[in-house]
Amino acid sequence: MALTVTEAGTAATIRMAGFVATLRSNGFVIGIRENEDAVALATVTGIMDEQPLRWGWRSLLCARADDWARFDDLFDSYWMPPNRKALVESRAGGAGQVAFSDEAGSQAGRAGPVLQRDEAEDDTGLPGDDTARDGASAARSIADADFRSLNDKLQTYAIETAIRSFASRIKRLRTRREQSRARGSRIDLRRTLRLSVASGGSPNDLRFRVPRRVRPRLVLLLDVSRSMSLVSFFYLRVARALALELGDVHVFLYHTQLTHVSDALRDPDPWRAQERLQLLSAGWAGGTRIGECLAAFNRQHGRLVNSRTVVIIASDGYDTGPAGVLGAEMAALSRRAHRIAWFNPAKADPRYEPLARGIREALPHVDLFAAANSLKTLEAALGSLLEVL
Amino acid sequence: MTAETRMAAIAAMQTSLEASGYITERDLAATLLLMADLGRPLLVEGDPGVGKTEIAKALARARGTPLIRLQCFEGLDVHHALYEWNYQRQLLAIRVAETAGASRVEEDALFSEKYLLKRPLLEALTQAVPPVLLIDEVDRADEAFEAFLLEVLSDYQVSIPEMGTIRATSIPLVVLTSNATRELSDALRRRCLYHYLSYPSFAKELAIVQLRLPGIADRLGRQIVEFAQALRQQGLKKQPGVAETLDWAAAILGLGISSLDEAGPDRIRETLSALLKTHEDVRAIEPVVLDRLLALAS
Repeated sequence: MALTVTEAGTAATIRMAGFVATLRSNGFVIGIRENEDAVALATVTGIMDEQPLRWGWRSLLCARADDWARFDDLFDSYWMPPNRKALVESRAGGAGQVAFSDEAGSQAGRAGPVLQRDEAEDDTGLPGDDTARDGASAARSIADADFRSLNDKLQTYAIETAIRSFASRIKRLRTRREQSRARGSRIDLRRTLRLSVASGGSPNDLRFRVPRRVRPRLVLLLDVSRSMSLVSFFYLRVARALALELGDVHVFLYHTQLTHVSDALRDPDPWRAQERLQLLSAGWAGGTRIGECLAAFNRQHGRLVNSRTVVIIASDGYDTGPAGVLGAEMAALSRRAHRIAWFNPAKADPRYEPLARGIREALPHVDLFAAANSLKTLEAALGSLLEVL
Repeated sequence: MTAETRMAAIAAMQTSLEASGYITERDLAATLLLMADLGRPLLVEGDPGVGKTEIAKALARARGTPLIRLQCFEGLDVHHALYEWNYQRQLLAIRVAETAGASRVEEDALFSEKYLLKRPLLEALTQAVPPVLLIDEVDRADEAFEAFLLEVLSDYQVSIPEMGTIRATSIPLVVLTSNATRELSDALRRRCLYHYLSYPSFAKELAIVQLRLPGIADRLGRQIVEFAQALRQQGLKKQPGVAETLDWAAAILGLGISSLDEAGPDRIRETLSALLKTHEDVRAIEPVVLDRLLALAS
């Protein structure tokens, strides 16, 4: 009897370790101590009752808001039988959640699909292979999106050079506060006095206040709908180069829905970055609902936007959503953002006129409207962006 | 511990928090229990005004222990947070000794507890009963301070060069809050339990309003909360938090308004300064928008 208990215990521990591994491969940062605590917690709370265990593990294993939002889906997909509906009550509540909870059971994609690497067949699957996409959302998949080109060094070299010069200029950029600051450094009296104690009260060693430098935050909203399919990979490469070069960059893709891809882009393991993007990108090259995607952005990620945020929207402005939404959401965004730039590949054509309804609604709220369909036009657009910052 | 007793413990925690004036969901109560079980600090993130700081206050009230607060700011250093020598008194002691004609001043006496000014962290480590230590807005402090916190929070001991190492007499319950002004390090995040607090649901916010303003009529309370919740969907620059809803409810009560729809938009507009905190937001709530929000709430 005792043996059976031990075996059951070992099996449970292995299964828990598997769960922690799943979380890790989905970008959670979990150390060995947390792993041990997670097992200890299961013994404290008892593994038979799911609810306290879920809450405890969520507090223990999540480290940031992003993890928090995805945890319930990951927990359900690992521990729940596939056809069992997720318990809505345990989800992080709050205003605006009501609408989501209805879809929670059917929609796999709110937190992004689960990525599991430890399955044997995954390793044999080539990036284009279907195995990698099993378990992704039921929505349209991206048969022809070839993310391998993201890692093509030759193609990305020129982009990276351009971005590096942009990044270094952004790092050197002086904010208005820094410009207005009086010349010269200010002495940090408190520290100087404290040091002076060592020398009997004479301030031999002066300490100066070091101003903290606050750089603009970049938020990129990239349209990857069908009408943008020729340039969307170009933008994605630009976004990846930016995300690797600058710290405070947040990248979202949108088509009929919005997806946060910053983490996947920043992933140091190119194989995994590729697969994560592939999993995230259901709906690639589909229709466009710019207005609704912006609304989703404002609602869910509005906290990213503040007086030092520069929002770059890359789109041709063909919006298939209802009229008026895009204008209202742009207005809301422009009230909060420092600057909004709209990069439009179509504008490179000299005959182009902003006639599409979407772009007409958006333009009054845009600080910079630039063409960007090639490296040359992109460099020009980034140059003008630096001027309006 | 069986699952039933755990759930009972969580429910008891929830009730005792409620008794000390803080309405919370069960998951947060579970996390607070876990803090004591694992001896780990808790990092709370969420929008401004959702009640992050209140968690620590309520926890201290519920446990009947003192609350020690360290407010972080840019440039906060170890000496603000941990200890400082009382230089003035030390100098004075030297002068007194000089005038008294003492040949030498005992150095050990100068660097003794008598001249030590305890700042919040040291204060928290030297309490007899484990206190609640609130490290508020930790994202405002610099990276260097965050690195220093790591050491304090994992070993619960500090060293003062002149006196030696001081070990915690009791391990405090530490609550850290962050507004995401700056990204915190993974090292700090990993050492903490994590809880993300979002804006409260309708039911929870209504419960909070009723708890804090017991005199409020049921219908008016519902209207006020509906209005505040609808306002948060408007993409304002500064979203109204729970504290703002409470201020507004108090303002409405103060004006003797018994129902939002009967009071009319003009009188309501006079009170909106409790909810709208920037010029842009005031402008964004045009008469049409206000009418729509009031219609939604009634």
